[in-house]
Amino acid sequence: MLKTVILTLVVLSISIVGGGASVWYALKANEGMGAVRIGQWTAFPSLGTADADPYSKARVAREGILALGRAEGLTFTAERDANGEVLLRQCSYEIQGPFPPARFWTLYAADPSGKVVPGGEQRLGAIHSYQFLRFTENANLISAGRHPAPGNWLALSGSGPMRFLLTFFDTPIASGTGAADIVLPTITKTGCDA
Amino acid sequence: MHKLLYALLVGLVGAGIVHIVVLLLLPQFSERDAWGSLAETADLYKAVRVDEGNGVAPLVRLEDPLFSASACRFDLDDGPVHIKATGNVPFWSVSIFNRSGQNVYSFNDRATERGALDFVVLTPSQMIEVRKAMPESYQRSIFVQVQIGEGIMMVRSFVPDPTWKEAASEFLEKMGCTKEA
Repeated sequence: MLKTVILTLVVLSISIVGGGASVWYALKANEGMGAVRIGQWTAFPSLGTADADPYSKARVAREGILALGRAEGLTFTAERDANGEVLLRQCSYEIQGPFPPARFWTLYAADPSGKVVPGGEQRLGAIHSYQFLRFTENANLISAGRHPAPGNWLALSGSGPMRFLLTFFDTPIASGTGAADIVLPTITKTGCDA
Repeated sequence: MHKLLYALLVGLVGAGIVHIVVLLLLPQFSERDAWGSLAETADLYKAVRVDEGNGVAPLVRLEDPLFSASACRFDLDDGPVHIKATGNVPFWSVSIFNRSGQNVYSFNDRATERGALDFVVLTPSQMIEVRKAMPESYQRSIFVQVQIGEGIMMVRSFVPDPTWKEAASEFLEKMGCTKEA
């Protein structure tokens, strides 16, 4: 009799704890279904739409996200650099390469909780294409780091892990199926503060 | 021993069932969703800033520091809703969300003539009524037909640098979100 009770309790606790924890874990991971991966960048084109998978729908409800619509834009997130190392706020990075067609784009860094990394006292921690400096032969280069850099500087501050968010606005890659075929800039680490 | 293994197996199957049930019920029972946090701040048909523009914590997760946004909740069962804003901002975009925060319709300033924001959200059956007798105030409006009841409308405005802040604030704060009888 007691054995049956204990076995029932085992079954129930595995079910409830295991089921709940697996949902929690699945929603926390930035991977998941519906993700488009291009180099180090990940995007969720169907996030917040009616054709999203149940995991995206649950994430939208749990985090209170109001996602960008297809006519608005598409956000790509990078958590690692080209060598697969986690992006750190105390390091300097070079973001270089082609930007897909869009009316404009914005780039900023956020900490793991989603808060924007401030760019120090006088500077906003974000840059966009309207203030972007293009180099000869149409080379695009952004330097991100805590120390001022010539050209396009994305100011960072503090220390700890972070991620870059690159959003393209009013772009065909958000509305079409073309999100998988585009090429995005690469992130290379150039150095770190000790 | 066999019984314990059997119990573990049943437990794992149960965990799978619980996983699916929790996942599918989460959107219905979440209180922290966008609708919930907007409802705590403002009534239906009242546009509020949802970014950090007013020194308060952002209401919904709207991360981009180069954007300001304003949102209002509406209920199409009470009639169409008319959204208007005037001003000069470099880029604006509008999204219509349903009750659970799913984007059902979106467009940007290129969709309108001279970039003026003036549109009416209504259901297809209300559209039939409107077509019969077009009200004077709808002459220049864009009609957005969506098959929803309760919903959220959000306008985002691009703020390229701090000098645009004032223009964007004015654009968003003068935004009207009115119920049409």
